[in-house]
Amino acid sequence: MTKKLSRREFIKLAGAGAAVTVLTGCGPAARYVRREPYALMPEYNYNGQSTYYATTCRECPAACGLVVRTMQGRAIKVEGNQRNPVNLGKTCARGQASLHGLYNPDRIRNPLKQAGRGSGNFSDLDWEAAIQVVSAALKENRPSEIAFLLGLAPDHLFDLVNDLTKAIGAPAPVRFGALSMFESRVTLSQAAQNLFGKAGLPYFDIGRADLVFSFGANFLETWLSPVAYTRGYSQMRKGQSTRRRGTLIQFEARMSQTGAVADEWIPVRPGTEGLVALALGRLVAEISGAPLPKAFAGVDVAAAAAESGIPEETLHRLAKQYADATNPLAIPGGAALAQSNGLKNAESILALNALAGNLGQPGGLFFSPAAPLPDESHPASLAEMSELIQKLESGQVKALFIHGVNPVFELPKALGFEKALKSVPLVISFATFPDETAMQADYVIPDHHGLESWGYQRALTGAGQPVLSGAQPVVAPYYDTRATADVLLAAAAQAGGKLAEALPFKDEVAYIQSRLLPLVTTPDGPYTAPEINTFLASFQQYGGWWQNGEALTTPVGAPLEKTLAPGVAEAHGKGEFFLLSFVSPVLGEAGANKPWLQEIPDPTTTVMWNSWLEIHPAAADELGLHDDDVVRVVSEAGSVELPVYRYPAIRPDTIAIPFGQGHSAYGRYAQGRGVNPLDLVYPALNEAGDLALAGMKVRLEKTGRKQTLARLESRMGVYGEDEH
Amino acid sequence: MLHKLLELSKQPLFRVGVLVLVLAVFSGLGYGLYTTQTTPPQPIQFPHSRHVALGIQCLYCHPGAWRQASAGLPSTQKCWGCHQQTPLTQTSVELQKLAAYAENGMSIPWVPVAMLPDFVHFNHRPHIAAGLNCENCHGEVGKMGIYENPQVLNMGWCLTCHRERTQDDPEKRIKLLDCGTCHY
Repeated sequence: MTKKLSRREFIKLAGAGAAVTVLTGCGPAARYVRREPYALMPEYNYNGQSTYYATTCRECPAACGLVVRTMQGRAIKVEGNQRNPVNLGKTCARGQASLHGLYNPDRIRNPLKQAGRGSGNFSDLDWEAAIQVVSAALKENRPSEIAFLLGLAPDHLFDLVNDLTKAIGAPAPVRFGALSMFESRVTLSQAAQNLFGKAGLPYFDIGRADLVFSFGANFLETWLSPVAYTRGYSQMRKGQSTRRRGTLIQFEARMSQTGAVADEWIPVRPGTEGLVALALGRLVAEISGAPLPKAFAGVDVAAAAAESGIPEETLHRLAKQYADATNPLAIPGGAALAQSNGLKNAESILALNALAGNLGQPGGLFFSPAAPLPDESHPASLAEMSELIQKLESGQVKALFIHGVNPVFELPKALGFEKALKSVPLVISFATFPDETAMQADYVIPDHHGLESWGYQRALTGAGQPVLSGAQPVVAPYYDTRATADVLLAAAAQAGGKLAEALPFKDEVAYIQSRLLPLVTTPDGPYTAPEINTFLASFQQYGGWWQNGEALTTPVGAPLEKTLAPGVAEAHGKGEFFLLSFVSPVLGEAGANKPWLQEIPDPTTTVMWNSWLEIHPAAADELGLHDDDVVRVVSEAGSVELPVYRYPAIRPDTIAIPFGQGHSAYGRYAQGRGVNPLDLVYPALNEAGDLALAGMKVRLEKTGRKQTLARLESRMGVYGEDEH
Repeated sequence: MLHKLLELSKQPLFRVGVLVLVLAVFSGLGYGLYTTQTTPPQPIQFPHSRHVALGIQCLYCHPGAWRQASAGLPSTQKCWGCHQQTPLTQTSVELQKLAAYAENGMSIPWVPVAMLPDFVHFNHRPHIAAGLNCENCHGEVGKMGIYENPQVLNMGWCLTCHRERTQDDPEKRIKLLDCGTCHY
């Protein structure tokens, strides 16, 4: 074209073009998109609107209530249930991340049979065959040859299995969880029994205390009921017109996330926590001028100061603070009890509460109310677990059923669980994920994910009221999985005889209804119902059942009249460092397969996606160790290799490794990442039968290698070159 | 050059050729424009009249109308729930399409007819709650094959009704004539 387009013509043409575009664009055909209605409509679904379901969190056994937002049959957001007295509408990061469990690409999608344990050579099984396997295992073995190993959640399944084993005269199901081991729950319960004549988890009223001495209790992380205690902590920190802002003093060898927010961190030598408590008790008694109680009479303050590494002046100052406080509270945490003298430590620390006179007082020590339904379970101590392992090893057990727990990963390797499994002819796992234990099973008969499940969970502590948190499916199961309760009921019906008689329920919900029956007529609940179906509707709507009004009980007894002499813990093994393994505050014991959790920087070190070894810079300098140097940690029981993180908030004689990584199975996000500190742990026990986890000595060897840790601190992602 | 063209234009055949060419271009343009202004075909020639004649309530297939914003379209399973039992499904050619959708677990890509622009937030629920029946707005659907709007769904039509029905209630009138009631 030779003629040049003038400006005026160009605008004319452009205008005409735009007019054509508008004319055609406004036409119906451009607006008429096609609608895609459901091929199969999810129940109770409103187009374009969310549906909310109340259920219970299964990420730990604390029984926090959840309300899950669902859209078009998909769970899209987890929030706390405001009505549930345990968490009052809050959740922790692990609860939020439960969606990553639901949508995890590595979930087991249908029943599997494994040819050769650990081979990963799985073949699909149909449900009829799977139920046949369970039914035959229950029927063809003598009752004494059947063993059930269950996790700490869910409770309805424990109750069902308990009924089942009772009916056929098999040994009661054993319940275990890494959290209860790390928290030494059995020791705490036993100490309460020794001092106050009643076993059970005490309730620490942090919210109304004004001074908290926490002996390694990581109550803002994973301890007992972290959401409830975090709420208590925030209440304590709020100044009120009647009360000043509370103070938190944390006694622990390694500063935890909880220790990091404390007013003061006292780096006590591992194993001397009881001694420190007694010394403080003696000084407090002396300040108050009352006659010295028998419990504290036997301790020498100067010796305690020398043993624990806390200067005497500090002890005096802390004792003064404790004596001056209106509502002081002392809490024994997991690491203080996971020692050879753990039970005595627990008693000594609990006795500080009796000295302060806070038993049954606001801001003091209570007994948690009994759950609304009778509870026949207790977490197994390590002694009970070794008993079970011995039974497995000796060939007494012919069929082992495992649900809700991953013992191959969660027990110290030295205890030999994996080896003992070899002597069991039939191992059936009900795992949702291909975890280490499922990989050692003959059959994997997958349960639904927690968000697809029915159930209930008793709140053992954390709320002032008796609480039964209810669970219901928030989405229809995505895969060809089946509720383990339904599988057992179907297998029992098929086996016939005593089994079928004892469990005449058509499904899991019918069983849950039968258990809830007594609550229909129990007064003082949040709702009333004339019969069980109406009751269950409210139970689902409210997310459980709880009694109105506080039902905390006051511990009675004379703990101050008891002679307490915890002494110093004996450390196992040789080496220059105490080994402290702690539950990762973010991952917990089973969070490693959730990328949201892996991606959260650890609250104290900001490390992500890996394991690390915390060592004091002075100790590291002595060994010539820098950040990211890979070291070999050697103990009596084994060795692991991992990168160093120079952590200033740890005693120079202590090293720490988080627990949660180091999976050899458990899906693509967890597998082959980091190390498991339990590989190092020698299975020494304390007096209550719990693992003396924190009383372990290890040595370090340099490997000369380096592995860069992904961490937020001082770096731009993992690529930054700016070493601090 | 121009001279030659003038010569040519006097021949009748040339004039007819030009006319045909012009007509072809215009009809092509017209057809193009027409396709942008008409609705695309429905995947199944759905006869509303037949279903209403069988006594099926509107809310059976569009249950969203009384409880939510959108009346909703029935899921394939819902159609198939009845149709797998009716003998007509075996013989009708049109229903073979439905059978194919149901067997493959596919949703039926219906073309919406009653639709409003995105800046209008229409909600069925308050209209049903106010005692309106479906036919008040959607016309005699029972006499239609594929649904057609009985009137243009524009703002004037909405407001005429809102005015008429709130004559005795000034407070309600303010609310129902407020811009923000539908445009938010």
